[in-house]
Amino acid sequence: MTEFITQRLFQGVVVLFLVSLLTFFLINLAPGGPSSLIDFQSTAAEREARLARYGLDKPVHERYLNWLGGIVRGDLGTSINQGLPVSQLLMQRLGPTLWLGVASLLLAALFGIVLGIIGALWKNRWPDHLVNTIATLGMSIPNFWLGIVAIIVFAVQLGWLPSSGFASIGSGFDLGDRLAHLLLPASVLAFSLMPNVTRVTRAALLEVMTTDYVRTARSKGLQENRILGKHILRNAMVPVTAMLGLITTVLFSGSVVIESVFGFPGIGRLAIEAANGRDYPVILGVTLLAGLIVVVVNIVVDILYAVIDPRIRHD
Amino acid sequence: MISTEKASLPAQESSRDLGRFMRRVLRQPLGIAAAVLLLLLLALITFGPAFLEHSPTRTNPLATLQPPSASHWLGTDELGRDVFARIVHGGRVSLSVGLFSMLVGLTIGIAIGGSAGYFGGKVEGALMRLVDAFMAIPTFFLILVIVTSFGNHPVTIILTVGLGFWAQMARSAHAEFKRFRRSEFVEAGRALGGSHLRLMGRHILPQVLPQATVLGTLGVGWAILTEAGLSYLGLGIQPPLASWGNMLQNAQAYLWSQPMLAVWPGVFIAITVLAFNVLGNSLRDLLDPRS
Repeated sequence: MTEFITQRLFQGVVVLFLVSLLTFFLINLAPGGPSSLIDFQSTAAEREARLARYGLDKPVHERYLNWLGGIVRGDLGTSINQGLPVSQLLMQRLGPTLWLGVASLLLAALFGIVLGIIGALWKNRWPDHLVNTIATLGMSIPNFWLGIVAIIVFAVQLGWLPSSGFASIGSGFDLGDRLAHLLLPASVLAFSLMPNVTRVTRAALLEVMTTDYVRTARSKGLQENRILGKHILRNAMVPVTAMLGLITTVLFSGSVVIESVFGFPGIGRLAIEAANGRDYPVILGVTLLAGLIVVVVNIVVDILYAVIDPRIRHD
Repeated sequence: MISTEKASLPAQESSRDLGRFMRRVLRQPLGIAAAVLLLLLLALITFGPAFLEHSPTRTNPLATLQPPSASHWLGTDELGRDVFARIVHGGRVSLSVGLFSMLVGLTIGIAIGGSAGYFGGKVEGALMRLVDAFMAIPTFFLILVIVTSFGNHPVTIILTVGLGFWAQMARSAHAEFKRFRRSEFVEAGRALGGSHLRLMGRHILPQVLPQATVLGTLGVGWAILTEAGLSYLGLGIQPPLASWGNMLQNAQAYLWSQPMLAVWPGVFIAITVLAFNVLGNSLRDLLDPRS
């Protein structure tokens, strides 16, 4: 087990290293990269000073090593537009994104699993077709557009829920207020995550239903509800848990757009602001943080998976 | 007699196969409906502009934010441009970006994933770690990084969205090429002195094509959604060129006064992507019996 964990950790570090290499060189070797920052009306001396301030006068591999060295010490550089340390910006923005992410994940898991069970139990009959239709709609409707429509209906027409933001201005922490702000964006994001969960749940259930131990349980005369709960669902949840890593990346991608629709001050919104303002250190930091979270989630899932299912450890 | 019977067998077989295949196609009414819908859409965006009364870019300050009328079927936007004309022209952009991005992603994915699966060993290890790295960056962040650095020329957008899709294709091409590289027909080709490129291209690739068709069809839908999201954020296709995504960006400012402006482009995106997804699922049932 220790060997398995060490191996996974090592692979994770390699992947993160590649992520850092990829993003850094994509940004720094591009024609419109950081060097274009100097396209201001300024004197030669000012330009040189600016270059030197961001370390852009050094060759690109040296800059990469400096940046990497900084990361190891927890220093992600300084935002060009805001003048604040990137790590501080990330910390400020991580909270709202975590709220949004966890809320959407819970909603997507709840509805996705329930729909998946319905689909599997009534396979190829109308409830299954209905579930399939809902899942296909979730895959096809642009989530940002659904967000806009939700704002039109629930905020503009009905006036039930706030249209944007993370909290009402001027109030302290109030759970009701926070949940009211979360409900629309989290539901919209969950709707686009749900098809993944539904499909995997349905497929896993159908597979487990044909196994020998389920047949044995049935032939022992166990109640159908007990078989479903104790034998089928528990085993079917293994592949569902395993796709948590994939869901995390989809969640991050979705949060970029959804946070913009709802004016939500999270990581995704920070990424857009940085992209629009050509704030390279922030873009690098945000991407690396997203990659880190995805890699960590994947490692945790792999370890959980290996704990639940011993066959994985020995492949 | 016997010999003629034998000779006629293959022809009979193939016509019987075709008949069987057609019957299976007919068992996918939803897929057929989706294909018809996409063909209609293709006709609309190809031939529509020739018949349009309005230009998609001509502004009219005297007729802004008009409701639908006989002249402006879907009304006009905040600059007085005809919404229907912009939908038709935007459809050209959105569908082209969707199709070409998918082709880019599919090509890169099959080339890299296929090489990894075919060669195995160190090549496989290195290439698949690269795939892992791409999978670890949430697609939208990767796209943001590239668009920020390389700008938002439509060709760049196509390459970028394709780059967001290739890793997934690489994973499945990797599995398939690995499965087939030691199979008998590939070994036979190898014994005849076939080069790696020939073995991969002529012998293994055809085995992967059904799956690639399915993933590609679903991929077009995904690419259209991604381009729309990117353009909605102002980082994709730039005005005055219309795309379904950037029409939504402008429309959000008028949610209170003219909400339908935000509804139409989304309806077209949703229907198009839905059609690609339904078609993709039908093709999976049809071409890929293993899943």
